[in-house]
Amino acid sequence: MFRSAMLFTAAVVAAAGVFVRLGGSVAHAQTKAPLEWGEDAAVRPWKRYQGWPVRGESKFSTLAKLVSPPPAKEPRKLGAPLAGNAENGAMLVADRNRGGSCLACHVVGPAGGADLPGNVGPDLSEIGSASREDEYLFNYIFDARVYNPETVMPPWGAHGTFNDQEIADMVAFLQTLKTPAVFKTELDDPEKRPAPVERRENLDPIENPGMWAIDKAQDLFTQKMASGSSCSSCHADAQAAFKTWAAGMPKWEPRLNKVLGVEEFVTRHARTTTGADWPMETDNNRVMSVYLHFLANGTPIAIDTSSTEAKAAIERGKELASRKIGELNFACTDCHGKSADHWIRGQWLGPPKGQYDHFPTWRTSLQAIWDIRQRFQWCQVNIRADELPPDAKEYGDLEIYLASQSDGQKLSVPGIRH
Amino acid sequence: MAEKPRLKLPKEAKKGAVIEIKTLIPHAMQTGLVKDKDGKAIPRKIINKFTAEFNGKPVFSANIEPAVAANPYLQFTAKVEESGTFKFSWTDDDGTVTTAEEQITVS
Repeated sequence: MFRSAMLFTAAVVAAAGVFVRLGGSVAHAQTKAPLEWGEDAAVRPWKRYQGWPVRGESKFSTLAKLVSPPPAKEPRKLGAPLAGNAENGAMLVADRNRGGSCLACHVVGPAGGADLPGNVGPDLSEIGSASREDEYLFNYIFDARVYNPETVMPPWGAHGTFNDQEIADMVAFLQTLKTPAVFKTELDDPEKRPAPVERRENLDPIENPGMWAIDKAQDLFTQKMASGSSCSSCHADAQAAFKTWAAGMPKWEPRLNKVLGVEEFVTRHARTTTGADWPMETDNNRVMSVYLHFLANGTPIAIDTSSTEAKAAIERGKELASRKIGELNFACTDCHGKSADHWIRGQWLGPPKGQYDHFPTWRTSLQAIWDIRQRFQWCQVNIRADELPPDAKEYGDLEIYLASQSDGQKLSVPGIRH
Repeated sequence: MAEKPRLKLPKEAKKGAVIEIKTLIPHAMQTGLVKDKDGKAIPRKIINKFTAEFNGKPVFSANIEPAVAANPYLQFTAKVEESGTFKFSWTDDDGTVTTAEEQITVS
């Protein structure tokens, strides 16, 4: 009775746009954890991280809107024979600055020195002997969907990455390819390159600087914040209180009408209880997220899918995971489904299972901790789609779907990855 | 908050055993050669000296130069004949000395 009355009042206040605080540290273990919901959990307007590529891709779909041009229905008829410059084509297929380079997915004979090509797409080293018409190859690069609606190949021409002349140049180059690629070393051959194995001990602070977050979080945990209280005021024994908690996240949160992950939960719960300002994708938030996951290490991921809302969120997440977005027109499932267990350039594409249990993770290449939402954002920027703010409800749906795919895997946080 | 050094060595050892000691200190190790975005050189600031003592006697030391990467990690061995305390110190260019200790029981 009391709880429903309290929630009702809070909902009215929230609707009026007033900052809401739910007190009551004593009772909340039995009821619901206090959450602030009057504000966003991350900066608005969302600003892309410093050092990330700056490009507006608003003419292409994102996880929040469908705006990419529809695929062509018919191959383009070329009026005149193609007059491509094979030399320029050889340069374009290996140019990482333009298309991300054909070598990312294909072995392309001698192009790029046959240096670490991928094997998501077929080996094109002998395509010149395959009796393919120029027009066919042109259309395959321009928009392969006219031949294969299920293709993962980006529509390079239809999305404006390459112009007609550049595509003609690449076709001319492809027609010169008649002999199997020669690799300098076995590692360069994606068919022989062994799948990477992670041997580092991610929970050893000498090996994984991500572990340093634990000390910082323990300090923050007992530090008195704006309201005069700290996390430990209510959660005296963090180890006991959070032994399994993070393994049940993310979860559907009816008060916010979306899926909450650990990071957004931390922002909202801390704001309303201790007054700490820990927005998502700031250092203190990341550190607390590492710590809360760390406390649940070894616990199998077990997402609460009992409510119809949670089930619906997982369904939406599944749909988002297969949505084609960005200039490169990739869906999550293109890389981590259809093309899983293949090489994209020198990087190994894993299946969805196993992409969640180690987040937040230390990234050795960046000397930084990334949570799962930042990982989502980077995937999008990388395929030339606009990312969403980290607390976007679409990411919540995607995260609960991803977590459900990793059901039963034991948390091991912080991970350590390239 | 200064980051604390990380140590890894056995808590117990047999008399006369050669033990492995791993040490790491979080530090940016600015070489002095890197430029900031305005083109100005970022001043050199590195850990320039590391020492390890056991019961007050030197065991190992190293002068560290700017080519050493961030978060310098040093691994070395020592022969232990008695129980006691290892004491490690890292000297920063600015004069700050960070220390850490670890005890070992030798039987």
